[in-house]
Amino acid sequence: MNKVAIIGVGHTKFGRLQGKNILDLLCEASLEAIDNSNTGDKEFDSVYVGAMSPGVLNHMTGIASALVDRIGLIPAAADHIKNGPASGGSAIKAGFLAIASGVNDLVLVVGGEKMTHITTPGFITSNVATITHHQAERRHGVSLPSFAGLLTRAYLEKYEAKLEWISEIAIKNHKNGALNPIAHFQKTIDEFMKSAIQKGKGQWNDVNEFLRDDKTNPIIADPLRLFHVCPISDGAAAVVLCNAEIAKNYCDTPVLITGVGQATDTHIVHEREDVTVLNALRNCSNQAYKMANKTPQDIDVAELHDAFEILEVIESEDIGFFKKGEGARAAHEGLTEIGGKIPINPSGGLKARGHPLGATGVAQVVELFWQLRGEAGKRQVEGAKTGITCNFGGFGNSIVSILVERM
Amino acid sequence: MKILKDVEKIEWKKCNICGLLQYEDHLRCLKCKNNDFERIEASGTCKLLTFTILKAPPAEFRDRQSYALGIVEFENGIRVLGQITTQENLKIGIELKPVYKKICNNLDGNEVHAHVFKPIN
Ligand SMILES: [Zn+2]
Repeated sequence: MNKVAIIGVGHTKFGRLQGKNILDLLCEASLEAIDNSNTGDKEFDSVYVGAMSPGVLNHMTGIASALVDRIGLIPAAADHIKNGPASGGSAIKAGFLAIASGVNDLVLVVGGEKMTHITTPGFITSNVATITHHQAERRHGVSLPSFAGLLTRAYLEKYEAKLEWISEIAIKNHKNGALNPIAHFQKTIDEFMKSAIQKGKGQWNDVNEFLRDDKTNPIIADPLRLFHVCPISDGAAAVVLCNAEIAKNYCDTPVLITGVGQATDTHIVHEREDVTVLNALRNCSNQAYKMANKTPQDIDVAELHDAFEILEVIESEDIGFFKKGEGARAAHEGLTEIGGKIPINPSGGLKARGHPLGATGVAQVVELFWQLRGEAGKRQVEGAKTGITCNFGGFGNSIVSILVERM
Repeated sequence: MKILKDVEKIEWKKCNICGLLQYEDHLRCLKCKNNDFERIEASGTCKLLTFTILKAPPAEFRDRQSYALGIVEFENGIRVLGQITTQENLKIGIELKPVYKKICNNLDGNEVHAHVFKPIN
C-alpha cells in the first residue's frame, strides 16, 4: 500500500453565506487547496465531492463533474460521494484508497453543503430524518435531535452524569470556536449572554443561569436545549492528497493519513443492545488505529462529531479516550480542553465551527492538518503530532474515522 | 384516500439458529446470517427505556407543537420506538401499553397509523 500525504487544504468560512451556491462554495475551497498545495499547473487524476443533498436542497445534481469543469481539471475522474452527514469522511476515504492502491497519484477531495437558504419550517429536519429507518423510526415523527434527546436521557440515567456537564462541552466548543476565524459562531456563550443583556432580552447572573432559561435556550428535544445542538451552515472544505513519495515536491511539511476506518451499525437505533454505545465507531476507530499501528493513548488531538453535545461524550468513550460512562465527567474535569489530557474539537466542533453536512468530515481533517503543522493560531494544541476524527453518519449507523500524523 | 394501515400486532422475529430476537424486516440474521426465523409477537406490558419530548417536529407533524417519543421494551424483549400519549409524569422504567391509532397525515396527504404508548397508571 502506498503512503498517502495531505499537501494542501482549503476552507471557506462556515456560516450563513448568502449569494453563493453549493458549486461556488466547492470551487472556492478547491481552488484554495490547489493554491495551498502548489499544484496549480498539475493534472489531477480524481476529484471526490462529499455532499449529502445538493439535489434536494439546491436542485443541483452532477456537482462533481460540474466542479471539475469549472475549476479547469478536465479530464480528471469526478465522483459525488453521498453518505449523509459522513459524506466528507467517506470522500476522504475514497481519495485515500485511490492513492494507497497506486491507481492515482494526485487527488482533490472536497466536501460542502448549502443549507441556510431553506426557510420552510421542518423541511431540513424532515429531509435529514429520511436517513432513519422508514417503518420503525421515521413515520413515528423522529428527528435526529429526538434521537440525541433519547440518548442523553439514557446516558444521564445509566451513568449518573449531570446535564450541566454536557452543557459545559457546548461552553468549551464555543470558547474554541471564538478563536477560529472560519467558524460559524466566533463567540463564547458568555459573549452570547452579554449581548442578550445589552439588547434588553433579560438579566442573568452567570452562564449557567442563561443556559437554564427557556427563552434564551429553549428545549429542542428534552433534556436537550438549543445550545446542546449544532447549527446548520453553509460552507466547504478541501484537501489535496498525493503519493507520499512525491509530497515534498509540493510541500515542506506534508501530513500523512496513516489510518482510515469505516463501519456500519444497525439502522434501527433501538435494536442496539445499548443505545449509548456506538459500535460503528468502536469498529472504525479500531481499523484506523490498527492500520496506523497506534493506540488511543498516542492521540494528541481529536475532532469529533458533536452534532449534539451528548455525541462528543459518547464518541470520546467509544474512540477509546475514556472508559464507558466516564466521558461526561472527563469533560467536566477539563481533560478535553485545549491544554487538557486529550483536547477535543479545538476548532469549535460542529457546535461552533458549524455543520454544512457534507463539509464536516473534510473540515475535521483540515483542522488536524493545521494543528499538526502548528498553524492553528490561538487554538493551537502544543506539540500535536497525531490526530483522529470521528465523522458520524445516519444516527450512528455509518461512521468514518481518519487518523493523521506528522510526516 | 388510501390508508397506510399496518398490521396491529407488534411482531419481531427470532433466529432459528442463534436465537437472536430482531426487527421483522431483516432478511438474514443480524448475528449469524441465517435466513430461517420464527415470528414472535410482543406480549405483556412494556417498560420505558428512555424518552424525549420533541419540540421541533418534522414537517409531517407540523400541526403539533410537541410530543413525547420513547423506546419501550416488552417482557419478551421486543423493543419499539413510538410516541407516548402524554408528556406528563414520564420516567424511565414506568409501565405502558400499546394503542394503535392514526398519528398524522404524511406529506402526500395519506393517513399514517402506528402504535403509541399509554402509561398504565
Ligand atoms: Zn442468527
